[in-house]
Amino acid sequence: MDLSNGSEILIESLLQQNVKVLFGVPGGVLLSFYDALYKGKLPHLLVRHEQAAAFAADGYARVTGQPGVCVGTSGPGATNLITGLASAFMDSIPVVAITGQVSADMIGKDAFQEGDTIGISMPATKYSFVVRSAAEIPIVIRQAFHIAVSGRPGPVLVDLPKSVLVERAQTDFSFDPPSDLPERRGEWLDADIECAAEMIVKSRRAVFYVGGGVIASEAAKELRELAELTEIPVTTTLMGLGAFPSRHSLSLGMLGMHGSYATNQSICHADLLVAIGARFDDRVTGRVRDFASRAKKIQIDVDPSEVNKNVRVDVPLVGDAREILSALIEETRAQARREKGISVAKRQEWLRQIETWRLEYPLTYDREAECVKPQYLVEAISEQADEDAIVSVDVGQHQMWTAQFYRFSQPRTWLSSSGLGSMGYGFPAAMGAQVAFPDRQVIAIVGDGGFQMTLPDLATVSENGIPVKIVVVNNRSLGMVRQWQHMFFENHYCDVNLGRVPDFKKLAEAYGIRGAKVECRADLKEALIDFLGDREPQLLDVSVDPYENVFPIVPPGASLAEMLTGPLVVEEK
Amino acid sequence: MQWLVALEAENNPIVLGRLLNAFRRKGVVINTLTLGTRKAEMTVMALVESPEESVEHVFHFLRRMVGVREVTYYRHESTGRASFVFIETDNHSPVTKILADFPLSKLIFASQGRYLIEIGEMRDSAGRKALHSEAGLLPFARIGTTSNTAGIANLHDV
Repeated sequence: MDLSNGSEILIESLLQQNVKVLFGVPGGVLLSFYDALYKGKLPHLLVRHEQAAAFAADGYARVTGQPGVCVGTSGPGATNLITGLASAFMDSIPVVAITGQVSADMIGKDAFQEGDTIGISMPATKYSFVVRSAAEIPIVIRQAFHIAVSGRPGPVLVDLPKSVLVERAQTDFSFDPPSDLPERRGEWLDADIECAAEMIVKSRRAVFYVGGGVIASEAAKELRELAELTEIPVTTTLMGLGAFPSRHSLSLGMLGMHGSYATNQSICHADLLVAIGARFDDRVTGRVRDFASRAKKIQIDVDPSEVNKNVRVDVPLVGDAREILSALIEETRAQARREKGISVAKRQEWLRQIETWRLEYPLTYDREAECVKPQYLVEAISEQADEDAIVSVDVGQHQMWTAQFYRFSQPRTWLSSSGLGSMGYGFPAAMGAQVAFPDRQVIAIVGDGGFQMTLPDLATVSENGIPVKIVVVNNRSLGMVRQWQHMFFENHYCDVNLGRVPDFKKLAEAYGIRGAKVECRADLKEALIDFLGDREPQLLDVSVDPYENVFPIVPPGASLAEMLTGPLVVEEK
Repeated sequence: MQWLVALEAENNPIVLGRLLNAFRRKGVVINTLTLGTRKAEMTVMALVESPEESVEHVFHFLRRMVGVREVTYYRHESTGRASFVFIETDNHSPVTKILADFPLSKLIFASQGRYLIEIGEMRDSAGRKALHSEAGLLPFARIGTTSNTAGIANLHDV
């Protein structure tokens, strides 16, 4: 009988799940696995740190909708994956992590590079498995992928002892899917849909508040249809960017801490808020008791534990966003027919009011400045980039400016560690996205702080010719922390100045990547044309105004109505 | 608020570890916890405390966890509406007495000196009230449960 070893079975199992690429770093207990990979059936991208592997898998998953797969060895390899898994968990991204473990007979004996990977990963994953025998690898991998994508997606970790990877076994891939997996089915009733549709039809000042759940359930088309049918404006969370086109007349952009004045005002004055795949997090709500306090609320979410978690709602609809939106479209149409149409006049009044707020305090900045304002940089990238370009960001001021000023036209084009807020995400996530779509433009917009956490992977893109475009928004500081120390801690700047920031152009060149530098506004557009004009990895280091702050801002503990619109905007007014 | 959660899950230490971690993260204080295992299944009965506004969230959080098959939660109810009693005792006599006094009652859970009894239909609310006021008995009302036949999908508010 021809038996395969566990490593070969693992690769076959991954191929059965349609895995196209792995992101990882090899190590001692994974030697037999990498020996099996050597035979070349499954591509593997060697990154320079396991955290980058997890972020790359996350980026791959966000742009494809399919689980990204990362690999790390036992002990430090596995612990290095954890930040990436925690980020994927917070943002509900399907990632499968494969970790090596010491041999089964050594577990618990503090062997070399032994770590309690399962224990450490529990709060950072949707589920985790230990594989006990080579024969069970196919079913465990099948379950892991199913759990990662089912219901509310999330990361799953599979820990494989070295002894399992070398064990020879006969395998059978013709199993039925296990029946006790946590498949979510709709828990909503037709009566709930009727009630929600009636609230929508009768509302005068409604807002759709849209999160990443719309992207996860591929419901962007249905969202747009319902918004256009009802003429209700749409605001998105950081996770929801791309779910609704930024240039659409009903788009309100982002809400919350750094949302625009008009958007936050519309939330404060709404009579109906329809939350779709959004979880009312603190960066959105501000002081929670005042959030949309005049509005009735409908919440659509696949996860029942999100309903009423932070904000009480009037009508919960638990289930898949696309299915529910489809049902709502049908029911709203039917009710509108009975009511002889949705009153466009009453909606127009609301839209005019929002436009007034928009004109009163627009999202803006000093457009005449000679230095490069970071917002100008983002607008310029947005103008120059391809329509379907993928944009990946780190965490901090540049992330918020990109969210405010980049014009997204489609889902799965925006990568951001939104919930965990992990610096060092942007560049490796862009790498993962680029591997998924080698022919599309992928732009990593990163801060000089976060980028310095991920420098070694310049070698990865260089060696593999991964044509990621890296824009360093260089303000020579940890800008968001500096802003908070400035605004809320009496200018007590403590450890936010990054001092001797490296010459990123030279650094890129040291890795064999083209680099360029821009220090004044006049040079920017030409530099961007050159930068985006080829299919090679490139780095553009842009010195931006180091004193620029992100406005508007809702101060910590304040309500959306108490947002600070910023000195510049007030002066303009 | 004091409440009681009973759940059935896959007999797997990873599932149990995740459950206890969920209690910790959600700020649920465990007063008593009883764990029973069978070959492929484990049962957990825990008398817990958490802020009233978070109880529903924790229930939903538990019921959608991978490996959890059925969750039921009971709220401490001091009025006559409670139809369950929780008893922690070193001897069987209070349990035997209740089962004898209330012939329609059912023993829902019994392990390590902890018992949950459904009292059943009672026309005599005074009798139920008297039962609830007995020392050592904690009255509960069942608030929500899931079906064990279809994973977490079939939710029944009771």
